[in-house]
Amino acid sequence: MEDLIKKIEPFGVLEFKRPKERRIFIRIKSEFLRDLISFLIGEYDLRHLSTITGIDLGEEIELLYHFSYKHSIEITIGIKIPKSSLKVPTITDLIPGAIFYEKEVHDMLGVVFEGHPDLSPLILPENWPEGVHPLRKDYSIEKLKELIKK
Amino acid sequence: MRYGTTIKVPFGPQHPALKEPECFLFEVEGDFVVNVKPRIGYIHRGIEKAFENNTYMHDLYLAERICGICSHAHTVAFTQTVEGLVSLEIPQRAQYIRLIMAELERLHSHSLWVGIAAHEAGFDTMFMYLWRDREMIMDLMEEISGNRVLHAINTIGGVRRDINDEQANKIRKYLDKFEENIKNYIKVLETENTFLKRTVGVGILKPSDAIALCAVGPTLRASGIKNDVRKDDPYLLYDEIPFEVITHDGCDVFARTIVRCEEMLESIKIIRYALDHMPKGELKVKAPRTFPPNESIGRVEAPRGELIHYTKSNGTSKPERYKVRSPTLGNLASVCKTLIGAHIADIPMILAGIDPCFSCMDRILIKKRS
Repeated sequence: MEDLIKKIEPFGVLEFKRPKERRIFIRIKSEFLRDLISFLIGEYDLRHLSTITGIDLGEEIELLYHFSYKHSIEITIGIKIPKSSLKVPTITDLIPGAIFYEKEVHDMLGVVFEGHPDLSPLILPENWPEGVHPLRKDYSIEKLKELIKK
Repeated sequence: MRYGTTIKVPFGPQHPALKEPECFLFEVEGDFVVNVKPRIGYIHRGIEKAFENNTYMHDLYLAERICGICSHAHTVAFTQTVEGLVSLEIPQRAQYIRLIMAELERLHSHSLWVGIAAHEAGFDTMFMYLWRDREMIMDLMEEISGNRVLHAINTIGGVRRDINDEQANKIRKYLDKFEENIKNYIKVLETENTFLKRTVGVGILKPSDAIALCAVGPTLRASGIKNDVRKDDPYLLYDEIPFEVITHDGCDVFARTIVRCEEMLESIKIIRYALDHMPKGELKVKAPRTFPPNESIGRVEAPRGELIHYTKSNGTSKPERYKVRSPTLGNLASVCKTLIGAHIADIPMILAGIDPCFSCMDRILIKKRS
């Protein structure tokens, strides 16, 4: 793992931190996401995706892909995508287990995973208004309650 | 036999096999499943959103309410995550108490599951026996924490209650009885023909699929893959305690049953060791009310597998974002794969095989009331 920093340098690394033992955070430019994941699968056999977290940062949405290396070291890969174009390529072809995590982020934050086999709602009801994403900061609990009453 | 045409059969949200509402849309050809589409969210409660609107102290109790079976696992993950924001070290005795409760919870959860598996296979006597014995564990947890289900024993910085010598002896006494019974039940389950017919070779999850679909917990271990967060990414004091990670090569529902049964025996060993080695001392340290901007991940081996919490703090007393991924969502992709090709009659058995806990899985949204 020590040579990891050097090896991933070509993938647009913006930040690399190791806050404690067995926790690594890597933040990269979004266009390198698939390249870095394919590289890590090949080089370190990084195949266990724990989950994907989406965070609303205001103008951007941050996506954190939480992988675990040999089920031991939690490696989080973070990218930011602008709200004006919320598109990111799917990784379901690289990691089939990402299928429901991507769907969840799509429901909750409205990120479109290009190439995902089926982005129909997973958690939200069928008659949920289009364009309303409950985990966005501009939807407060009160606003969502109003919406549900209607 | 091929019929040439398929029909779609909705299974749920209300259905006879599972105790919680969730919908699976099965596409069947004759008696066999050719495709399955899960539709979750029927018990979505908006918990992740609610986390952002409450203080960390309130969120601790919210985390406990994510699940009614592994409530303690969620607070262990929560405290690990939040304490990680400021690198807070908690006293050893508190770690042991958290660990003992976690293992007691594993015992109750696994015995509950093995009972349900027996029930799904039509072996109700075993269900009754296991649930009777499970009451011993529930009594112990009530004795220690004051509560049967929502134990509220963890707090940020430690635990709220101690385990005294009298309680420790009671735990030892009950565990002896429980262990003897579980050993007997394993013998019965391994030889009972009706049970074997319903479980051996049913719901096969190949190791390669288990890895590709990111399966977790006993489901993964029953496909022969040795992985346990307690061993691989040790938290509390699991790295000091000798125990085995149980695996089985069967890859079927029977393997999942045996893995859980034998894990119960390991949990009993862990609890005994912890009771014997627990040092005297403080129960908690002072924890801050507000947390500086940071981020932290907590990972725990819940009874159903890897449970992961992530939080991002912003300098206030409320988190900027709190994310929970429960083991059932982690196993959803693999159970869908397992169901394809299965006999319709085996659906309940296979679905029950991952020990699904839907209230954990759904979490985030506010329930739609019409």
